[in-house]
Amino acid sequence: MVKYLSQEWAEQAKKKVLTELDKAKDLKNMNASLLNVIQNVPPDNATMYYYIKFIGGNLEELLTGSDEAIKQKEAEFTVTGDYTTFVQISSGQMSSAMALLKNRVKMAGNKMKALTITKPIDTFNACISRLQTEY
Amino acid sequence: MKLSDVLDITRQEPHCGLCKIDFLDTGVCSAGKKHGFVAYWPEGRMELARALAEHEVEPTETLLDIVNSCNLCGICDRQCTFITQRRPTKAQHALQDYVKTLQPGSLKRFPEDDILRDLRTIVGNDRATNDPVIIASYLRSIIKQKSTGKYYIVMPKTTEEIVEIVKLANKYKIPYLPRGNGTFFGVALQTLLAEPATIEQGIIIDLWRMKDLDIDPESITATIGPGVTSFELQKAAHAHKLRANVAEAESCVCANAQNLGIVTTWSNTYGWGTDNFIDAEYIDSTGTIQHLSDQEIPNPYASEQGLLSLSLIPSVIVTKLTLKLHRILDDEEAVFVPFATLADALDFAHNLAKRNIGISLAVISRKYLTEFISPTHEVAEDFNFIAEKYLKLNYVVDVICDSHSKKIVEELADVSFGHGMIKSLILGSSKLASMKDSSLLKMISEEENPLKAVFGGPMRKHFEKGLAAQPKDLVKVYDEDLREFFEKLYSRPELTDPIWLHSFRILPCRMERKHMWMYRGGYMPGDTQTILKVVDALEKPAEKYGINGAFGFLSYLERGKLAHLEYDYYYDHTDPEARKRVNKAIVESWRRQFAIKGVTPLEFICSKGLHRKEHILYPFLPGLSEEELEHFEDLIETLFGGEDTW
Repeated sequence: MVKYLSQEWAEQAKKKVLTELDKAKDLKNMNASLLNVIQNVPPDNATMYYYIKFIGGNLEELLTGSDEAIKQKEAEFTVTGDYTTFVQISSGQMSSAMALLKNRVKMAGNKMKALTITKPIDTFNACISRLQTEY
Repeated sequence: MKLSDVLDITRQEPHCGLCKIDFLDTGVCSAGKKHGFVAYWPEGRMELARALAEHEVEPTETLLDIVNSCNLCGICDRQCTFITQRRPTKAQHALQDYVKTLQPGSLKRFPEDDILRDLRTIVGNDRATNDPVIIASYLRSIIKQKSTGKYYIVMPKTTEEIVEIVKLANKYKIPYLPRGNGTFFGVALQTLLAEPATIEQGIIIDLWRMKDLDIDPESITATIGPGVTSFELQKAAHAHKLRANVAEAESCVCANAQNLGIVTTWSNTYGWGTDNFIDAEYIDSTGTIQHLSDQEIPNPYASEQGLLSLSLIPSVIVTKLTLKLHRILDDEEAVFVPFATLADALDFAHNLAKRNIGISLAVISRKYLTEFISPTHEVAEDFNFIAEKYLKLNYVVDVICDSHSKKIVEELADVSFGHGMIKSLILGSSKLASMKDSSLLKMISEEENPLKAVFGGPMRKHFEKGLAAQPKDLVKVYDEDLREFFEKLYSRPELTDPIWLHSFRILPCRMERKHMWMYRGGYMPGDTQTILKVVDALEKPAEKYGINGAFGFLSYLERGKLAHLEYDYYYDHTDPEARKRVNKAIVESWRRQFAIKGVTPLEFICSKGLHRKEHILYPFLPGLSEEELEHFEDLIETLFGGEDTW
């Protein structure tokens, strides 16, 4: 069991994606970078960042933390929402597209490109939801 | 009477919410008015009776209070018979008999928890609950059927109370969702839109108590709270000889404005969305009160278009709206121009729209005309058959205008009719329905142009004479104990006055008498060719999946540059197979609509009603490419799973 958004969680999540998902079949060889801005993280309602970058379907980076350095990462998409919503997404209770529809998250970035990565991102989230995680 | 004996009517409950409005001058349910929660209104009793019968809720002590609060006055039977042909008192009788079967003392009070205690501190003990019996009455109208989430219902009275509720929800990290009269939810929750339109747990903020309504005749504006319905606003505006541009009678104006911008037949003149809104007070997700007129807020008109702009849950709660009203002219008249084909009707109406003729201007279908004006669905079906088979009356260009414009319309039209004929059709609808095999109708159908013969030629006199009916004739279709009431009702001039009916919009929920419907269509360029393409894009999926689809109405914006189309899919929402088919048809209709340039399906307008149409409808979106449409299918699969799961 690893703590959600901890360094250990980030490492294990990355490893799981790299070993379990096929770059072409599951991740559609996507090229995309996405910065999640997670607000109201307990216990002190801090803001954390969760950054992922794919090149040709390969997960190049998966970073978490509250460092400004992560915030400054160049990202094609920025998704902002509450901690409870990200827990629902990362635990497989809600797809990120559904969270967008329900107005639980806001997304900035090219919407047409976002459309092309909806499915592989959902597959990615489904994979990390299988990680034994303490939320 | 057992709860299972009334399942036929309780399952069909459409949650139109008209029982909360005094639209027939009968008064409204006294228990509902006193307590407020949906469970105490006829609509809620029906849902509760169904949920108990289908074992979706266990009785609590509150059930006794709900059942005992009804005095069986029968107001709901009059209201509901008029609209949906159902009698809620049957559900009440079944609930009374059910309660008698429970062991005395076996019902327990549902325990309070910290969240409820805090909510009650904000709004008072009687205005917040977590009782499953009350929550069950909100099923299928804001809570998904069979939802296992933990819910609270709260009924605030002021903006400040909502601020506190939002802050409380944030403190406990639970979602919240406002509810006006539930009409949008009543339709969406039967489809695959149920998931994105609802919350899986949390606080339902029922806005019914927030009924502040102030008309300013000098500035010709109204300022209203979020519990004010279209009917209530229109009634108040009419007292000053003014008209509000409002949706169906039962819809809450603030919610309808926010969600859909208010779609009407008056839009070519009165506009849409922010064309009518002056200011809005709203509460954001942090619990901060803001106004559209504030200078320091982010651009309130910023909006997105296209596939990923779909959002069925608004990001703010509108708590006050100031909107424009419009003067009613002394010489307003109704004129109807009948057509056999849609293309001809559209061409004629577009011609009027371009010239700004008609304060209200729409193309309505045979289906709407017959369903809205007939006292029962069965009469409507026969009337529909006659209109199609004998009269070739398939579409009507429906105009409310001043006397000068009326002359122009009559000059342009081959044939037209007015108030007198509509009154004859309303009062004579059941008589007409009984004439299915009459020689008069057969004779009319043999004419070269039956429409001209019946509405413009020498046969018009015979037709009107044949229809001649009094309220006492019409009301024979109702249960005997209700006939006296309906005779008096139909004797009132407004019930046969097309201008009053267009303004107050009490009839559209008659669409729900037989089956539920799903709103299809949206906004598009106003030319006939594009509209016909969209109709085809909606018709094809309906045919493919065995859904009864029908053109509803079309109105224009900006002198005919844009049009709004409502096309409806009718289906039995109590049948899981029919729901699956309608969901498939919805998805395919999106796909087909997005392939047409300039078309924005209605769902993609949702939550954008407070925005300027210029930011939503312009620039015209190019039709999506095949590759983009494939990605769209991926998105649908991500959102709703594969076809088999719908």
